[in-house]
Amino acid sequence: MNQITALDKTVQTNKTKISARNVNVHYGDSHAIKDVNVEIEDNTVTAFIGPSGCGKSTFLRCLNRMNDTIDICRVTGDIQIDGENIYDPRVDPVQLRAKVGMVFQKPNPFPKSIYDNVAYGPRIHGLAANKAELDEIVEKSLRRGAIWEEVKDRLDAPGTGLSGGQQQRLCIARAVATEPEVLLMDEPCSALDPIATAQIEELIDELRNSYSVVIVTHSMQQAARVSQKTAFFHLGNLVEFGATGQIFTNPEDPRTESYITGRIG
Amino acid sequence: MVEQHIASAFDRDLEAIQAQIMKMGGLVEAAIMDAARALETRDEELAQQVRKQDAAIDGLEELINEEAARVIALRAPAAVDLRLILSVMKISGNLERIGDYAKNIAKRTTVLAHGPSVEESAAALRRMAREVELMLKDGLDSYIQRDVELAQDVINRDRDVDQMYNALFRELLTFMMEDPRNITPCMHLHFIAKNTERMGDHVTSIAEQVVYLVTGEKPEEDRQKADTTSTVPQEG
Repeated sequence: MNQITALDKTVQTNKTKISARNVNVHYGDSHAIKDVNVEIEDNTVTAFIGPSGCGKSTFLRCLNRMNDTIDICRVTGDIQIDGENIYDPRVDPVQLRAKVGMVFQKPNPFPKSIYDNVAYGPRIHGLAANKAELDEIVEKSLRRGAIWEEVKDRLDAPGTGLSGGQQQRLCIARAVATEPEVLLMDEPCSALDPIATAQIEELIDELRNSYSVVIVTHSMQQAARVSQKTAFFHLGNLVEFGATGQIFTNPEDPRTESYITGRIG
Repeated sequence: MVEQHIASAFDRDLEAIQAQIMKMGGLVEAAIMDAARALETRDEELAQQVRKQDAAIDGLEELINEEAARVIALRAPAAVDLRLILSVMKISGNLERIGDYAKNIAKRTTVLAHGPSVEESAAALRRMAREVELMLKDGLDSYIQRDVELAQDVINRDRDVDQMYNALFRELLTFMMEDPRNITPCMHLHFIAKNTERMGDHVTSIAEQVVYLVTGEKPEEDRQKADTTSTVPQEG
């Protein structure tokens, strides 16, 4: 155990960023998330793993109230970010989503120029006072998305004209442009080739310095590669949550063991 | 371990690799016993056979390591599967070393067969080898049955082997002091005793791997050490 953690990069802070208590989610009659309690740390990549339909994406979507858009979905319990209940009626979901960015499975750039894709969020949130400031935000975000060098000479080109991996990095740049504190990623690499995947994974590791990153992935190898903490969901339950090194060498729960070793569980 | 992998070929790979370990274990057990018997009965032919057999043990180790590397590359094992592969690689290394020690004993037996015999020590060496062989048998059984209790028992028994070695060390020292003509055979016998004691250490390491494989953690207590010969003062 000691040796395993020694290999991980030092995590600067163990401060809790997101704290979820007794979270339950119902879709109509179906109970999708059952009493989940979890503390997600700042400056840490947390991976959610589990078989299809286990609730990991549903839970991820609770963290920026994306489930609000689904009529039959009911979320109960308490989710706090920096000690603030995000389901408080006074919280504006639009502001919340600026603070909690999200990247989806399929790259989904707006049918606009590369520049406008990134500038969209800062514009609607009024983060830039003038064009120079906006230019600066766009460049900074594209650099963070590790795509600046590839697109700096064609910022006016449509974002949809980029390759899949580039589009996904553009979406990450777009997500970080509003200076979020938490970045949620739902299967961000499943539509990408291995090289683009490696680039995104490298990027995730860098993003950890500035954000709390939560990633849902079906690739257990990816969870093992990029995360420091891993949560295993099964049938709506959070079965096990712990250090990634521990989960992949010596999980406590037999269900986790069955899942990560590829046994029927 | 009751559950099967969804990919059944993975199960077959792991079973095959463990079967190789057991085969290797059987050869090594035989090598220990044959080496001890050859020493006691001054049987040069049997000693020669032990030396030849070691090639098969070495070959199996190589095969197991290749298989383990293949499983790691193709299956990316995790959790208990990962621990199984890691333990298999270490255990095959331990068995290979034990085989080498048996071979070395056989080599020295060839030399000893032409000199004067040191009866008392030969019998003590036979008992020590017998104990190590039993420890190995139990160690391998604990591995196949995933029996932590038995593995812990094997770990504890290394103390007895160490004590047998201490006694032999002193005995051989006495013989050498009594008559300088004893020095050559007693030096060989001492190396044989030391080799057997080292075999015990490797068996202990195998048993520790069993504990790690099953529990995911190294055995808690420090290994019991009773080999005190490195601190025996010089006598003038």
